[in-house]
Amino acid sequence: MRPRAAQSYIDDRPEDGVFRVHRDVYADPELFELEIKYIFERTWNFLTLESELAKPHDFVTTHIGRTPVIVARDAKGKIGAFLNTCRHKGATVCRFEKGNAKFHVCLYHGWAYDSAGKNVSIKQREAADYAAAFDAESHDLIPIARLDSYQGLVFGSLSPDVPPLLDHLGDLKFFIDLHMEQSPNGMEIIPGRVAYTYRGNWKMQLENGQDPYHVDTAHGSFMAIAERRRKGQGNVAARELDWQKRNNVQIGAYEFPFGHSSVWHEVAEPERRAVYPMLDEIRARLGPVKAEWMVKQRNAVFFPNLQIADQIVPILRTFRPISVDLTELRSNVIAPVGEPPERRAARLRQFEDFVNPGGYATPDDVTVFADCQTGFSATGVDFLQGYARGIGALERGANDEARGAGLHPLASVKGHRTQNTEIGTHAPFREWVRLMEAGMAGRKAYA
Amino acid sequence: MMVEAGAAADSMAAGIELLHREAAYLDEQRWDEWLALFAPDCEFWAPTWTGEGRLTTNPQTELSLMYFAGRGGLEDRIVRIRSGRSPAALPLPRTTHMVGNILPLEPPQSSRLRLRSSWTCHAFFPLMNATHIFFGRAEYELTSGGTDWVIAKKKTILENDRIPMAIDIYCL
Repeated sequence: MRPRAAQSYIDDRPEDGVFRVHRDVYADPELFELEIKYIFERTWNFLTLESELAKPHDFVTTHIGRTPVIVARDAKGKIGAFLNTCRHKGATVCRFEKGNAKFHVCLYHGWAYDSAGKNVSIKQREAADYAAAFDAESHDLIPIARLDSYQGLVFGSLSPDVPPLLDHLGDLKFFIDLHMEQSPNGMEIIPGRVAYTYRGNWKMQLENGQDPYHVDTAHGSFMAIAERRRKGQGNVAARELDWQKRNNVQIGAYEFPFGHSSVWHEVAEPERRAVYPMLDEIRARLGPVKAEWMVKQRNAVFFPNLQIADQIVPILRTFRPISVDLTELRSNVIAPVGEPPERRAARLRQFEDFVNPGGYATPDDVTVFADCQTGFSATGVDFLQGYARGIGALERGANDEARGAGLHPLASVKGHRTQNTEIGTHAPFREWVRLMEAGMAGRKAYA
Repeated sequence: MMVEAGAAADSMAAGIELLHREAAYLDEQRWDEWLALFAPDCEFWAPTWTGEGRLTTNPQTELSLMYFAGRGGLEDRIVRIRSGRSPAALPLPRTTHMVGNILPLEPPQSSRLRLRSSWTCHAFFPLMNATHIFFGRAEYELTSGGTDWVIAKKKTILENDRIPMAIDIYCL
């Protein structure tokens, strides 16, 4: 079955107050193939943090869609990103997740590349009787088309036809700032990593971060744990916000261009936030607005592959599409460089407790994603109804909170916590339509 | 202090039995008996890999899969399982643990044992109709105040750390 026109999958009629997403968007393997081609391979993707590449020759390997990529700092200190595939027979030239290497040597025939991607050795080249045509070709690793960074976050694009990174990020820069400016000494990824897969489409994790509605049901057991900890029982070292006290807080969301969005919550107990002990310094350095926003719980999406979230502690979570119903997640916890040991430990306990695959929240999310994926097999049903909360309170452009932060969203919404807005999902799906439509029509992704 | 050969053998036998009980109680969902194998001030630690070859070495400065300073952290997991409100545990996976290669890490003493073990956990996830084998190795410090031995420290290393969805204490 040929996929239909991209617009037909998203029933987006603002004048009627309607936003619905067709189930096939999560379940059709042909659409998934087109997403890889027209979304992941044609726009900016988050790759890594510069702090992971602190020294010359440090490297990390990652993927843009399915394309294996090496990101490396060369001898002169410049960061480059290359397709992780040997020019000779195509093997990856680096098998490791991260490390330090002056040279990446292909294990198959020994072709070697330096940390700037330049070919420095073709084994037995002199005796090879290569024709002149071979010598005329470049044998270097192929650099990806665009590479740039903002606040230490490194982004790359396989397509040259993308807007400049800063234009592409737009107001998402503010939410990146809220993560990366928490310390005057900079922020770093805490060593250690968790990688896990779920049986569900990649967009489910993307949406989950924009979905406060699920929290008190899917994470109901966590509420029972929190109740114990209030009484001083259980793992009190990991204790964070008292979720019972959230009942009177305000919640809001913004839609931004290029598929980005963010949800925020006010916090009833700012003193329990990891950032709280640093707030005086932050206020003095950055002013009151950013300080106030750092206290809020936030969950921003960089479309298509990164969640910039601070529900509990600031994290960066990437989602990698493997197949239509299989997705790999990696979560990193970031922290101030030189953080006092007791605060570092508390941050770790809170992260492990909530975000880890052995924690209290993520396991419940990913198992319900599997339920959704199973449910998508049902026939005789088309559009989902999970994108409508908050539409009645939608304001075009910026609301007061956005104006106060100097933000220019396409739309804003705000309400009582139990409004549990779902409008944070709209921007990603509108960008999904735009990129898929452009790809299917043979047009460039960006004007 | 030299320990009599007979006393050392008794300690080893008790330690091996404790590790077997720990595995059996998890598989049989005898949660209270499982918890009682741990000292109230026990340390339970599952480090993460930082990449291919290195484990995190300090739970206070590096990320762990799980780290609990005290049995309360384990009790929380049991509260969650019993709450019936965690989608990740509905239905609860069924597991079979096998524990072997138990060796002393230091000469057995009458009131302290340091052991290493290798373990596998075959887990059946009814939700996915799928089976996964978690495997790894563990280091224990066991103490005895008199007749009963308890786990004072457990460090368990999940070797295949590309986790399908989620893990809980019964997967390790």
